[in-house]
Amino acid sequence: MTAARVIGFFVAMLALKLTHLQALVIFALVVSIAFGFLGRRQPMERVKYILWTLFLFLLVGVGIGWAMYPFSH
Amino acid sequence: MAEEAAAPSATPKEETPQAAPPRETKREGFAFVVAVAGWLMPGLGHALQKMWGRAVICFLTVGVLVWVGAGMRGNLFTSRGNDAFDSLGYIADLGTGSFYWVARWLESNGPDVSHADGDYGTRFLATAGVFNLLAALHAYEAARGRKA
Repeated sequence: MTAARVIGFFVAMLALKLTHLQALVIFALVVSIAFGFLGRRQPMERVKYILWTLFLFLLVGVGIGWAMYPFSH
Repeated sequence: MAEEAAAPSATPKEETPQAAPPRETKREGFAFVVAVAGWLMPGLGHALQKMWGRAVICFLTVGVLVWVGAGMRGNLFTSRGNDAFDSLGYIADLGTGSFYWVARWLESNGPDVSHADGDYGTRFLATAGVFNLLAALHAYEAARGRKA
């Protein structure tokens, strides 16, 4: 595979068209997993922490979105 | 400290400052190397301490955030900022270490913050940097023997 093909592959992969909700979910998921691994040692504690953090991220994100909804009209 | 204060002062002794034990100095040096390595290459600080799971997660987290941020054409700040916010953004972006240059390479078309996507991308890139700094600090504390 030539260098041009490799660069072309990455550029194609970069053409990200995400909805706002998809961006929120990706962000929340990635950061929650990272926090879980850094903040907890035991596997079960990590899973609980990841799920709880993910839930709070989504709740606060969607909540703020709805709170701002009246101002967009 | 309290014991020293309570000691009788009738026979003052000349105290010479004691140098840190060699082992402690060595550990501090290693911790510093770990912190710098963790900043330059996400996950390397943990990998040097054989914390493989955390190393992989740090690498993937920063990698994914940079990849998505660059893909959304977020603003990657430079040292030639116009105001304090630009400078703060630059510091945050620099937190990704070597991935700063990866993001610069990936964003061959430059940033586009005229849409919401670009704004979100800017946040993804900044988060990647701040998270990597946090991970490097975590690795540093672990190398010093603190609970981590």
